[in-house]
Amino acid sequence: MTDAPERESRTPRSVVPAPPYAGPRHFTLPDEAMKRVLVADRVTVELSGKRILDEVSFWIPKGEFLCLCGPNGAGKSTFLKTVLGIVRPVSGSVEILGEPAGTANKAVGYVPQRKTFDHDFPATALELIVANLRGSWPLRVTPQERDRARAVLRRVGGEKLVDKPLAGLSGGETQRVFLARALVNDPALVILDEPTAGVDVRGRQEFLDILAEISASDELAAILVTHNPAAIARCAERVVYIDGRLIAWGLPNELLGQDSLSAIAFSMKDANASLPADED
Amino acid sequence: MNILTFFTEPFVQPFMQRAVIAGMVVGGLCAMLGVFVVQRGLSFIGDGLAHAAFGGIALGLLLGASVSSATWIALPFTVLVSLGIAFVLRRGKLRGDVATGVFFAVSFALGVLFLGLRPVTAQPVNVETVLFGSILAVGSTDLLIVLGVCALVAIVILATWTRLAYATFDPELARLSGVKVELLDYMLLALTAVVIVVAVKTVGIALVSSFVVIPAATARMLGRSLHRVALYAVAIGVGGAALGLLLSYHLNVASGATIILTLGAGFGLALALRKR
Repeated sequence: MTDAPERESRTPRSVVPAPPYAGPRHFTLPDEAMKRVLVADRVTVELSGKRILDEVSFWIPKGEFLCLCGPNGAGKSTFLKTVLGIVRPVSGSVEILGEPAGTANKAVGYVPQRKTFDHDFPATALELIVANLRGSWPLRVTPQERDRARAVLRRVGGEKLVDKPLAGLSGGETQRVFLARALVNDPALVILDEPTAGVDVRGRQEFLDILAEISASDELAAILVTHNPAAIARCAERVVYIDGRLIAWGLPNELLGQDSLSAIAFSMKDANASLPADED
Repeated sequence: MNILTFFTEPFVQPFMQRAVIAGMVVGGLCAMLGVFVVQRGLSFIGDGLAHAAFGGIALGLLLGASVSSATWIALPFTVLVSLGIAFVLRRGKLRGDVATGVFFAVSFALGVLFLGLRPVTAQPVNVETVLFGSILAVGSTDLLIVLGVCALVAIVILATWTRLAYATFDPELARLSGVKVELLDYMLLALTAVVIVVAVKTVGIALVSSFVVIPAATARMLGRSLHRVALYAVAIGVGGAALGLLLSYHLNVASGATIILTLGAGFGLALALRKR
């Protein structure tokens, strides 16, 4: 992208050195009375003997759109894998609607980073969505399943994609189909792992429009892992910033300008200046 | 000779009846497994397991079995190798072709070693039979074994079909939908090993991987859904075996090679039609 060097110059990530860790900084937290969709309680994860997450605790109430931020290698993807039940913490726990992570998969929708498909794999958007509905690849799709897939695609502005082969979709269309797949079981929480990385500018903008609608929903909670300041500015109702440990948890505007959060602070200023990032 | 005689005359003879049934059953099943194997980028696995089967047959011969009964030693040996490949694929960071390549070479080398260790008084082995198969020599008992083994494998594949298809499409998403992906990985390779050992009897070590790869590769160009691809692949495997056998009879040429060449011609035709 042509604006990459310019953006690099606006994000001097190393200008303000991070102070020694003095525990998590809690700003405005969600209302204690609200129903909790996700509760991470002192989550500690080690992979190959290396500590990736160290006692990370926060929770997400029903309907809240949370952006999970942090530098590369901060443990964001590991945290998502823990929520999905793929990685088990060595101590602490993650609960989804009161159930241990990994046991309530229908309550969680997952949108992975953009996948590329072998052009010879004969799969359509409809089959992908119905596979998540059933938990197996559909031999035949019933009219009811087709209607449901169509409805969920309509919700993400992709109804015309229903019978399209996945291999022929653009990056933005692919991610819409994956979002529809994630939403088809009416989850309480949707997890989005840098969903617009590798998607062109137009596709990214359209996808952010859809995420903004989800953010406006009072029913569906979301965790969006992103480096994209535009996404944070448009969608985040709350931000958690981690770097192996929980650094800060609060409203997006509260995390602006914090010295210890220099990276995100600069990114957020960029976002306010309406500069779309090159990538997530 | 009229057209009807062309098709019926060869199959008057019992050995040809047995050969065509064995060929069609093995061809169809190899093709069915091939859909998953090829889609997972493991096309080389057929070759690898066939050469592992050679190691198993050689072990059987070393232990005093005949070429025919050595299959019973080759079966567990090849299944173990397939599980080893599946284990390495899961645990290590090796690509499928690397893992297969290592096991393939080691198993084949073991086979050569085992053959060399046989006492000098042992009956000589017709290596050509092992390498290129002997579909025309399939006896009644052999046929029953082929049918029994293939029926069992087909039942397992059909029972796990939709989960296997999901795991083949994307293991990560399938796992998150509750599919036991690891178990299916081991199962697929073990079943492939079983079918390969049986298929080695018909088309031989050198040609068996084509039975797995060519029908699936051809069907991928024709089908627009995974199930269609599987149906086409099985039809191509079954039809190719029957037609190849028929041609080999009339042309009086090697049957295993003719079957594979027939499948190859089908692949070429599909390729030409797709480009058009």
